[in-house]
Amino acid sequence: MLELPLVTAGETLDQFINGLTVGMVYVLLAAGLSIIFGVMDVINFAHGELLALGAYFAVAITTAGIGNFWVALLVAPLAVAIIGGAMERLTIRPLYGRDPLYHILLTFGLVLIFVDAIELIWGTQPFRPLDTGVLSGTITILGFQKTLYSYFVIVMGAVVAAGAWLVLERTRFGLVVRAGSMDRDMVRHLGIDIDRYYTLVFAFGAFLAAVGGVVFAGRQSVGPGMGGSVIIPAFIVVVLGGLGSFRGAVAGGLLVGVVQSFVRWQVPFLEGLVVFLLMIGVLLIRPQGLFGSPEWHDPGEGGELLTAAGSGVLSTRRRRLLGGGMVAVLAIAPLGIGVLYNSYVVNTIVVDILIWGLFALSLDLVMGYTGLVSLGHVLFYGLGAYATVLFAVYLLPSIWLALVAGILVAALIAWVVGYLSIRVSGVYFSMITLAFAELFASLALKMPGLRAQINPTLDSLGLPTIPPLTNGDNGIGADAITYGLTGGPEFGDVSLLGEIHLYYYVILALVVGSYLVSRRLIDAPFGSVLQAIRESEQRASFLGYDTTMYKRRAFVVSGALAGLAGGLRATQNLGRASPGFLDWLLSGEVIVMTLLGGMGTLYGPMIGAAGYLSLEELLLSNGIDQWQGVLGIVFVLFVIFVPRGIVSIPSLVKQRMDSSSEAPPEGEPAEVSD
Amino acid sequence: MATADDTTATFGGGEPVLETKGLTRRFGELVAVDDLDIEVGQGEFRSIIGPNGAGKTTLFNLISGALLPSEGSVVFEGEDVSQLRPHQRVHRGIGRSFQITNVFGGLTVRENVRLAAQAAIRERSPFENAFRHKDSFGDLNDRTDDVLARIGLDGRGHEQASTLAYGDRRRLEIGLVLATDPQLVMLDEPTAGMSAEETRATMELIGDVLGDRTVLLIEHDIELVMNASDRITVLNRGEELATGPPAAVAENEQVQQAYLGGGVL
Amino acid sequence: MSLLELADVHAGYGETEVLSGVTMDVEEGEVVTLVGRNGVGKTTTLRSIVGVVEPTGGEIRFRGEEITGSSSETVARDGIGFVPEERRVFPGLTVTENLKMGRFGGADTAHRRSVEDIWELDAFENLRERKDSRGTDLSGGEQQMLAIARALVAGADLLLLDEPTEGLAPIIVERVADLVRELNEEGITVLLVEQNVAVASALADRVYILDKGSIVYEGTPEELDADEDVRDRHLGISM
Repeated sequence: MLELPLVTAGETLDQFINGLTVGMVYVLLAAGLSIIFGVMDVINFAHGELLALGAYFAVAITTAGIGNFWVALLVAPLAVAIIGGAMERLTIRPLYGRDPLYHILLTFGLVLIFVDAIELIWGTQPFRPLDTGVLSGTITILGFQKTLYSYFVIVMGAVVAAGAWLVLERTRFGLVVRAGSMDRDMVRHLGIDIDRYYTLVFAFGAFLAAVGGVVFAGRQSVGPGMGGSVIIPAFIVVVLGGLGSFRGAVAGGLLVGVVQSFVRWQVPFLEGLVVFLLMIGVLLIRPQGLFGSPEWHDPGEGGELLTAAGSGVLSTRRRRLLGGGMVAVLAIAPLGIGVLYNSYVVNTIVVDILIWGLFALSLDLVMGYTGLVSLGHVLFYGLGAYATVLFAVYLLPSIWLALVAGILVAALIAWVVGYLSIRVSGVYFSMITLAFAELFASLALKMPGLRAQINPTLDSLGLPTIPPLTNGDNGIGADAITYGLTGGPEFGDVSLLGEIHLYYYVILALVVGSYLVSRRLIDAPFGSVLQAIRESEQRASFLGYDTTMYKRRAFVVSGALAGLAGGLRATQNLGRASPGFLDWLLSGEVIVMTLLGGMGTLYGPMIGAAGYLSLEELLLSNGIDQWQGVLGIVFVLFVIFVPRGIVSIPSLVKQRMDSSSEAPPEGEPAEVSD
Repeated sequence: MATADDTTATFGGGEPVLETKGLTRRFGELVAVDDLDIEVGQGEFRSIIGPNGAGKTTLFNLISGALLPSEGSVVFEGEDVSQLRPHQRVHRGIGRSFQITNVFGGLTVRENVRLAAQAAIRERSPFENAFRHKDSFGDLNDRTDDVLARIGLDGRGHEQASTLAYGDRRRLEIGLVLATDPQLVMLDEPTAGMSAEETRATMELIGDVLGDRTVLLIEHDIELVMNASDRITVLNRGEELATGPPAAVAENEQVQQAYLGGGVL
Repeated sequence: MSLLELADVHAGYGETEVLSGVTMDVEEGEVVTLVGRNGVGKTTTLRSIVGVVEPTGGEIRFRGEEITGSSSETVARDGIGFVPEERRVFPGLTVTENLKMGRFGGADTAHRRSVEDIWELDAFENLRERKDSRGTDLSGGEQQMLAIARALVAGADLLLLDEPTEGLAPIIVERVADLVRELNEEGITVLLVEQNVAVASALADRVYILDKGSIVYEGTPEELDADEDVRDRHLGISM
């Protein structure tokens, strides 16, 4: 049994204060996030970066001697508010009326830009916490000594939250914003130009986030990645509290802060897991969150997903020839090693592209064909990687069986996650998949602690103990994965000719094979139904299709393919899997690739993967450290101007050229099957 | 309840195909459908009319499974289907069209019809369903061709549904219902927004293709309803005001009042 | 010059043409009702006036100035108050807050009232008692009253009412009718869309009948009352 340490009232209070301190930062972050969603249907992934900007501005102000902590607390949020407003005007405004997915994609691109801009300006070295002057002193309450700053944060957070609440409840601005989140069009009918308010709402949200950032900087060091580390908890807070609800953001923020604090104190090995379980539980029982009220929220115009299906200019036959040609080129590519390029190009870059292409392909099956926007697809990729490695470590080191194990485990978990998630729709589906992915990511990290807690108990009961499954941060590796079932040459070792390796062909064959299987699925009755669901789920069910079942099956197939991609990646990574395989940023990247290439085409996302990785490589090899930022900019431009992706460019060009002769705007009729 | 011509004997004799028993649906305070007992006979052409907010579309949603009843039940061919999901009711033989055209806009015309036909053929193995090319099913192709021909869209199967002219899209909508081969066809304003010429053509199409199926029609065009129906049910504020043959309904005092709003002021 | 004129207005959704040439006018100080069966384009007519549906042809003029295709906010700021069929009271806002929203927008016309002025009117007694209730907690009749009051606070010179009596109990229908009469006596012009011909006739100075997207009849309520043929053909139900 777990041994709980003795608890005193003072200690409890101490942890409670800690929780509230952290919770206040969440409240400030989540309040803006929630209001922005409520009014504009925008899920702002870049909100964490706005918090980071607030922190960095504060650092800059204090270190440059422009002012002290108090000046920073006032000036930095105002500056960030201006940036937030500009962000809405320049990038988000063109996207109103499109599916909320595009806001997610766009703000994800903005995250990349912000992260690199911060690195470019302030470098990668963390800064010490701000000098908070008199607040750095301590105060003793109930025999517990704490810094004055902790209490300050709580008071400050409460004051700002109360102020924000007053703004929403008592001012004209707040009233219009609240009304706008309920019924935008009716606000217009009363003669109020709600669009002008959007910029202000964004600026307001950015202001609150930046206050959170400054407060944060007074407690902890300020370094790169702080935006990314707070955004996921902030999403949990928002979803827990109810999207669009200010009260929910406050209650959710404090709840998450306090729960985290107590969990870290009492059951540290569960830290990071509990909040995700909490979020999943709430979403399943009460999808609108604790304070959310679904009927009050105007879902807006919705907008359609812009797939690239039907935007091709080539005939099916030509396209097949082109595809076959592509595969042939890839098959003979290794022959050019040492002549045209070095082995790195083929054995690293091309292999990378193939594996990511497979991952993107798997996402396309659910996102592009079925309309399910999974924000947690990295889960299946990561699970595939871990399961493949673990199979090789504990059972048989054969790559074939290990990969199959990876596929099966990923498919199994995809079935479970799909079973639970597909009952909620739209943004909630995206959020719950994200939560599941994060749950497993923390699980991978926390496994050693969990084992340490559970194994002695299991042992004392005479039960088998849990072997080291993840090794936490370090990751887990199989020493040798072989081509044979139990022995034989090692994977990666077999050189066919000089730098030409067998594994290149194994990967090429598996990826091409996966593509062909997916293509066949899409061309079979099964695939038709998926597309019907994307077009109109209601109509599909009134034709007699059990749409929930079809969606679940698609999710399982997609999970299996993502698992294969993860397994291949792990074998390529010297047979190692680590928590990095479950990083949520990878989910973002694979979505970026899918959209960049053109979703709903299967080959588009693979082209997107090639484009993304080539550009990254090109930038890196030219010594441009800000490759992420450049990619972010390219991506933002794509979301705004070429939402159907790279594969739609030929038809866009064709349209442009034909436009003098009045070409039909829809492009040529879709050949659905290709 | 006063009915114009309360024919308790079902149409054409025998058991009714569709029955609602005390069917009620509330939305908060509002009772959209209030204790409805309706019987539709085998092969009957029944129209549902009534002013806005009378509960016609809610009734359709209750029968087709888009909504679950607050009280009462829907009985189809002797089986209580009230709690079944929409696709299960389609499997029992209830097909419906939509008021706002709801075809798969991004797919081709042929693909639309094929999807509907494919839904009706259910005894395929999961393996075939997932891995056999959809063009290789002979029965499916025949059926698709047949429906396309009957709705007059043969030769246009390659066109994208969203690019069809409005009237053609409405026809495709009817084709989708037809291809699922339902026992009971529910049509929600199939001629809404059509010109007189298109309306006539559509009604002819409905007459042609539906054969002796049972039809439930919501329609605003009174003339059309009068000509096409075997019997008419008039709803008002969720309640059944009258049911009977067109002539009897047209002469019903209460019906006239509901339509002209007499007796209120 | 008429306050509101529609000249050969065509409009629809996508490729569906719902209005195929609607021509009508509303004089200052009148109550004009537009009647017709379901689905003939009554609501679409109002929507094309308030900028929800952009007309594909024809002209709409308000006080002689063209407003065809103007945005919803512009039309509201010109003094046209829209009370939609679904009422669209802000569900999470209190009665007072709903009214304030009208005050923040709208037009500074002679008929504009403050929130306090609304409480003065007997017709809104119920609302006054429920000042702090949220929109969702109101009954259908109260929501209808609130939607009209909100348009008044927004300074409507011309009220567009879309089936205000739909789904209301007879006693409430009477109350709404009385209110419309009272407002009209104060000089507010009303364009009323109704399916309830009795209500329409009782209130109207003139009646238009819309059938299949065009105006098929214009006359006084008395004239319409006398013309059984027209009523049967375009409104009633007959063989």
